[in-house]
Amino acid sequence: MSRRPRLWFQRLRRSSLVLRLVMLAGVWSIGMLVLAGFGLNHLFREAAVQRFEAGLEESILGLQAETTVDGGQLYAPPMTDVRAYRPFSGFYWQIAGVTAEDTTSPLVRSRSLWDSTLAAPAAVVAQARATPGKSVFFDTVDPRGKPLHAAAQLATVPGRTAPVLFMAAENRESIDQAAERFVYIIVGALVVLGGGLILAVYLQVRVGLAPLFGLRREVALVRRGKAERLVGVYPAELSPLAGELNALVAHNQDVVERQRTHVGNLAHALKTPLAVMLTEARQTPGDLSDVVERQAAAMQSHVEHHLRRARAAARAQTIGERTDVSQVLDELSITMERIFQSKGVTIDWRAPDDLCFRGERQDLQEVVGNILENAGIWCKRRIKVTAEPLDVDWLSITVEDDGPGLPAERRGEVLKRGARLDESAPGSGLGLAIVDELSRAYGGEVALDDAVMGGLKVVVKLPRAET
Amino acid sequence: MRILLVEDDPDLSRQLKLALSDAGYAVDHAPDGEEGHFLGETEPYDAVVLDLGLPKMDGVSVLERWRRENVATPVLILTARDNWSQKVAGFDAGADDYLTKPFHTEELLARLRALVRRSAGHASPNLSCGGLRLDPRAARASVNGEPLRLTSLEYRLLHYMMLHQGRVISRTELVEHLYDQDFDRDSNTIEVFIGRVRKKIGPDRIETVRGLGYRIMALEGETEA
Repeated sequence: MSRRPRLWFQRLRRSSLVLRLVMLAGVWSIGMLVLAGFGLNHLFREAAVQRFEAGLEESILGLQAETTVDGGQLYAPPMTDVRAYRPFSGFYWQIAGVTAEDTTSPLVRSRSLWDSTLAAPAAVVAQARATPGKSVFFDTVDPRGKPLHAAAQLATVPGRTAPVLFMAAENRESIDQAAERFVYIIVGALVVLGGGLILAVYLQVRVGLAPLFGLRREVALVRRGKAERLVGVYPAELSPLAGELNALVAHNQDVVERQRTHVGNLAHALKTPLAVMLTEARQTPGDLSDVVERQAAAMQSHVEHHLRRARAAARAQTIGERTDVSQVLDELSITMERIFQSKGVTIDWRAPDDLCFRGERQDLQEVVGNILENAGIWCKRRIKVTAEPLDVDWLSITVEDDGPGLPAERRGEVLKRGARLDESAPGSGLGLAIVDELSRAYGGEVALDDAVMGGLKVVVKLPRAET
Repeated sequence: MRILLVEDDPDLSRQLKLALSDAGYAVDHAPDGEEGHFLGETEPYDAVVLDLGLPKMDGVSVLERWRRENVATPVLILTARDNWSQKVAGFDAGADDYLTKPFHTEELLARLRALVRRSAGHASPNLSCGGLRLDPRAARASVNGEPLRLTSLEYRLLHYMMLHQGRVISRTELVEHLYDQDFDRDSNTIEVFIGRVRKKIGPDRIETVRGLGYRIMALEGETEA
């Protein structure tokens, strides 16, 4: 399967919102700044050229006004600009006759031209002929090869019938230099302006989107069980989203609760018929009853296993639940001491008052209940339970008994599903396997060790909710 | 020996009635919660076998009502709900033992025997101190008629203090009474337990006598019930 390459704006869709907004604003403002730069540069150059040409035209008008004819000879007036006398100074003038083929033959010229002449292309002459009394501007070079900007105008001089071409030219390097300097200034100014704009947009976006980042932090707190719902005040655009998120959290808890109820109902519905079948089969011995008894027992263990799996799958996904550890230890100790009353079991539990488990109450009851039941079965008389925080995110619950303990090589077995080490001791035999499965569902773990009192020590690590 | 069986499933009821009669008990059967509650309240049974999922009134409510009406008959709960929150709720309501369905009839009989034997044992008089009452026979306590949920260590502490009410009891004395010799005795232990018991019976019933120990007493204006 080939993938079409993504266009840049499609890629932008997945990247950060801040980057997206800054990029869009940046592309727009940089485009505008570049346009403005070109525009300004053009205007500046035009104004400079116009001023330059006005000067040339002034020189031509001066020449026209004072030029006289005496005895067929043209006399040009003295120029005030000393550059007209200094050779190759960069300022030149020339009065030339024009032929029918639009070529020029110089009649009088400035001293600065020395022994060369100003050449006017035929196209310029033709244009000057078409617009008498108006200057035609063109570019050329002076005898030393410097670029010139020149004006030419065809006019009639009193005393002479054929019109003559007045020309004035000046070195144009000054315009080009000014224009170049202007480009540097404008580019520098625009770069600073553009950078400033992008920085301003970035700040604006960061500040403008601050509530969004706040929302993200709050959602993270809820997910980690440090808050039950979103409580922040959000702007009009975000508050519906916050409301929906809260509704989702509530819905999630509701769904888990309902699922659990269904699971419980199913268990209840199946177990009474199973009890009846088992008892009936035991009372009438025979081949059929053996089969019924075996199969009913198998059904029972399947039902139990899969119901617990279903419950375990539903947990750890719930959001924002927290359970007081000492309360659960208290209740379960009372329950367990009643269950093992004929044995006279004493449970001594210790837990900090403010220690909280991040998860469902039923799950903590299930974990601790199963460990305690196992300890109750094996202990002589005493069970010690200690709950303590490990760090900010984790807590541990340790259950020790004074029973015979469990050899290290058999500890792995009890955590496996359905393992039952001693058929003579009561219990479903699933206890510690369920504890293992449940604590894993919460990202925790179970460890078995020797207790100081002689029996088994079970340590379970579970997520802790912030107090 | 009279036993009350409260169970709605007809097949299971038949089997259990048969097994209990064979074991020498006289069995009364109630098929729903209301009838079960009525029989348990009016007839003197030696023990009750109570199913939790019952029509008309569920087992936990039946049990709670009996315990509020001071019916102290030992109760064994039969339940299909084998998660711990259900078991805790059952014991919280005042059950004495439980059995999860499906079960072996022999196990039910064995547990019933133990239950009857226990409740028939050492008869010692009830203790009271103001609104606080303690029934050593059933190992139960209550405040103003409300049943208290105590662990065995808390119960032992309260029992000892009520036996010696009005007297200041030192920490050492309490520790020695609370634990067998080889239990670790940490000096904070008693404070922890006094704190927990106070939380359950109300903060003012146990007075701290600085440097000496603790004393239990009735609240002011409270008459012996």
